Amino acid sequence: MKRYVLKRLGQALLAVIGAATIVFFIIRLSGDPARLMLPPEASEDQVTALRQSLGFDRPVWMQYIDYLKNLVTGDLGNSLYYKDSALKMVLERMPATIDLAVFAIIIAVAVGLLVGILSAYYKNSIIDYLLNGWIFLTQSLPVFWIGIVLILIFAVNLHWLPTSGNRGLESIILPALTLAAYPIAPIARTMRASLIEVMEQGYMVTSQAQGFSKRRRIFKRGLKNALLPVVTVISLEFGVMIAGAVVTETIFSWPGVGQLIIQAVSNRDFPLVQASILVVSILYITLTLVTDLIYHRIDPRIKVR
Amino acid sequence: MLKKSRFFMSLTLLAALTAGCSTVSKEPAATGESTPGTAAEQNLDITIGRAFDVSGLDPGFLTENAQVVDNIFDTLVKRDENEKLIPGLATSWKQVDDLTWEFKLREGVSFTNGEPFNAEAVKYSLDRVIDPASNAPTASYVSTIDKVEAIDDYTVHVITKKPDPLIPTRFNRYPTEVVPPKYAEEVGQEEFAQKPIGTGPYKFVSWDKGSNVVLEANADYWNGAPEVKKVTFRSIPEASTRVSALLNGEVDIVTGVSPEDRSKIESSSNARLSTVERAGNTVYVGFKTDVKPFNDPKVRQALNYAIDVDTIVDKVLQGAAVRTNSLIGPKDFGYAGEPEGYNYDPEKAKQLLAEAGYPDGFSITLDTVSWYIKNTDVAQVIAEQLKAVGVTVKVNNVESSVYRTLVPAGKQSDMYVLGWSSTNTLDADAAIYAILRSGESYSTYHNADVDAKLDEARSSTDENKRTELYKEIQDEVIKDAPRIFLYQENQYYGVSDSLNWDGRVDTSIQVSTITAKTQ
Repeated sequence: MKRYVLKRLGQALLAVIGAATIVFFIIRLSGDPARLMLPPEASEDQVTALRQSLGFDRPVWMQYIDYLKNLVTGDLGNSLYYKDSALKMVLERMPATIDLAVFAIIIAVAVGLLVGILSAYYKNSIIDYLLNGWIFLTQSLPVFWIGIVLILIFAVNLHWLPTSGNRGLESIILPALTLAAYPIAPIARTMRASLIEVMEQGYMVTSQAQGFSKRRRIFKRGLKNALLPVVTVISLEFGVMIAGAVVTETIFSWPGVGQLIIQAVSNRDFPLVQASILVVSILYITLTLVTDLIYHRIDPRIKVR
Repeated sequence: MLKKSRFFMSLTLLAALTAGCSTVSKEPAATGESTPGTAAEQNLDITIGRAFDVSGLDPGFLTENAQVVDNIFDTLVKRDENEKLIPGLATSWKQVDDLTWEFKLREGVSFTNGEPFNAEAVKYSLDRVIDPASNAPTASYVSTIDKVEAIDDYTVHVITKKPDPLIPTRFNRYPTEVVPPKYAEEVGQEEFAQKPIGTGPYKFVSWDKGSNVVLEANADYWNGAPEVKKVTFRSIPEASTRVSALLNGEVDIVTGVSPEDRSKIESSSNARLSTVERAGNTVYVGFKTDVKPFNDPKVRQALNYAIDVDTIVDKVLQGAAVRTNSLIGPKDFGYAGEPEGYNYDPEKAKQLLAEAGYPDGFSITLDTVSWYIKNTDVAQVIAEQLKAVGVTVKVNNVESSVYRTLVPAGKQSDMYVLGWSSTNTLDADAAIYAILRSGESYSTYHNADVDAKLDEARSSTDENKRTELYKEIQDEVIKDAPRIFLYQENQYYGVSDSLNWDGRVDTSIQVSTITAKTQ
C-alpha cells in the first residue's frame, strides 16, 4: 500500500510539472502582454521599455528556467496587472469556487442518483424514457443559456433571488443549479447502468429467489455494489468544477477562480495564468489520487499493486 | 475566516433544502429590493454595475479606464456637462510662453488624510508618472511634459518639450490626478494602489477583488458634500446579467448596455435607457495605402461608393451608431460639422474600378475583430456589398488580444476594420493623429501633406489655426479615401428611474453629480 501511494504521488508530481510547463509555453505562443497593458496611443519605444522591464524580451528558455527556479522556492511571481502575489490572488478566490462546486455537486449527486435509481427500477418503462429524455436535455442545453434563463425567471420576473454576485446564501442557488445541470446526466446514467448490471448478478438473482421484494433488493444489496463507478464519475465531475466553472462564474459574476483565469488569459497576465493553472491542477490531481485510495476502501476486491 | 463559515452555512442551507422545507431566507438587503423612488434622500446609497473590476486604484498607473478613481481624486481642470473645461483644483491657467503653462491652484484644499494640497503635491504626482523608469502605462497621455515646477505654494509651471496646445486638456485626465506625497511615499506604490487617498468627492472604503469597490462621500469636499453618500462599483462581466441586475433593482446604473438589451430597459417599469450619441469608436475599414490595389485612390474611392452605410446602420446595427464622414467627433475640439462623403453608388464604383484597371474586380481579405458593435455581421455585409461590384472578400475574424498586437505591428491584412475614439482628450489630435500620421503604429496611410498639417496642428497653440488645419486635413483625407468611412457608435447606459444621471461622451461617471429624483 505504501509503495503504491508513493508511486502515485510521484506520478502526480510529474503531472503537475507537465501542466506547469505546457501552460508556460502555450500562453507565450500568441505574444506578450506589453502591448495590451498600454493604451493604443503608446509608442513602440514605450512598449519595448515595458517589455524589457517585465523581462519578456529574453529568450523563452531563459524565462522558463527562471520560472522553474522560482517554482521550487514557491515563488509564483506577481500579477502584472494587480501587482499582487499571483498565488495569494488565486488562493483568495478559491473558497468561492469551492463553495460553488460543493453546492453544485451535492445538487447533481442528489438529483443524479435519484434519477439513475428510478430509471433502473423502472427500466424500459415510460418513466425510464422520460427521465432519460430530461437528463439528455439538461446536458445538451448550453450552460450559458440555462444561466440566463434562470436569471430571467427567478431574478427578473419573480424577484426571488439576486442575479449575480456573492453576498449571502441566496446568491449561490442559481449558479449552483446552472453548474449542476451538466453532471446530473453522467451521474444518472452511470448509476442506472451500474445498478442494472448489478441486478443481473448471480447473488441478486439468488436474493430474488429468496423472496425479497424488488425495492428491498435494490436498496439493501444492489445500491452498495453499484455505487463504485458512480464515485469515480462524481469525483471527476467535482474536479472539473474546481478547475473553475468558467462560464457559470462569468454569467453570475461569481468571484471565483474561473473568472480570474478568463481575465488573466485575455490580459495575458502570465504569472496569474500560471499560478491559477498550477493550483487548479494540483487540486485536480490530488482529488483523483484521493478517489483512487477511497476506491480501495469501498471495494477490497481491487488489488493494490 | 468569514469564507469558511460561509461554506458551512451553505451546507446547512443545503441540508434544509434537501429536507424538503424550502425555507430560503430572504434578506431584502441582498436582493436589493429598494423600491424605486423611496431611496431616502439624506442617505442615498447606490450601486453601479460595470463589466470589469479595477486592477488597481492609483490614477498614475492604471491599465483600464478611470471611472472609479475619478471619484476619489481630482484633476486641476474639470469638464462641465457640455464637456467644456472648467476650474478644478486649479482656479485658472494660462500660457506664459511657447513651452510654459502656469496653473494657479485652489487654496485651502486638503487630502482626506489631512495632508495639504499644494504645488508640491502636483509636482510629485506628475513626476512619478513622467519618470521613464516608472513605466507608467498611460505615460503617453503626458509624454509632452518635460517637467513640473512649483513656483510657490499655489503656482505651478508645466514645461513642455515642444509647444503643446493640449496641456489644459491633459490636466483633465487621470494620470495627472493629484495624490498626497507624504502618504504615497510612506506606503509605497503597491499599497497606494490598494488604499488610495485623494482630495476627491469620495473616500475609499474597501475593495473586494473581483467583486466590488466601495466608496463613501467626503463630507468636507471643497466643492460641497455630494448627495450620494455611498457608492459601490460592482463588476458583472456578462452584459445581459448586468441588465438583469438593473431590472431586478440590485444595481442603479449599468454601463456597456449592448444594443440588443436596449428594449428590455426601455420597456421596464423601474429603469430607463440613457443614450450617448457618438460617444464610442468611430469605426472604419482601413486600407494599407502603399500596397496594391489600395495604392490607387480610385480603388479606395470605388470601395467607398460600393458600401451602403445607411443600410448597415439601420438594419445590422439597429441604429446603435450614427453614419458619419467626419474624422472628428461632435464633442471634440476641431469638429467642423458633417462633411459630404461618398453616397452609395455601385455603378460608379464599378466604373472607378475599371478606370483603375480592375474591370473584373479582385480578391482580398478583410480582417475584423469582436470589439465593435456586431462587427462580424457588419464585415459580412460589407463583403456581400463589395461582391456586387466584383470584389471578392474573405472575412477573417481575429481573436481580440491577437488583434491588439497584430495591428500596431502592421501585420494585419491589407484591408481591416478598426475603430478609434478620442475620449482621452476630446481633441481632433487624439481622434486622428495616431491613425493617419505615417509612421504611427496604427496608421497605414502615407500622405506627406497630411503629415505636415497633423504635426503643425499638434504643436500650434493658436486655436483658430488648429481648427483651420483640421478642416483642411479632413477635406483632403475624404478625397484621398484611405479608409471606407462608416459610422460612430453610440453608448448606452441603464439608469434607475429614481436617479438623475446621464452618460457622458468622456465616459466618466461623476457620482457627485448624481441626485435622487424628487417625486
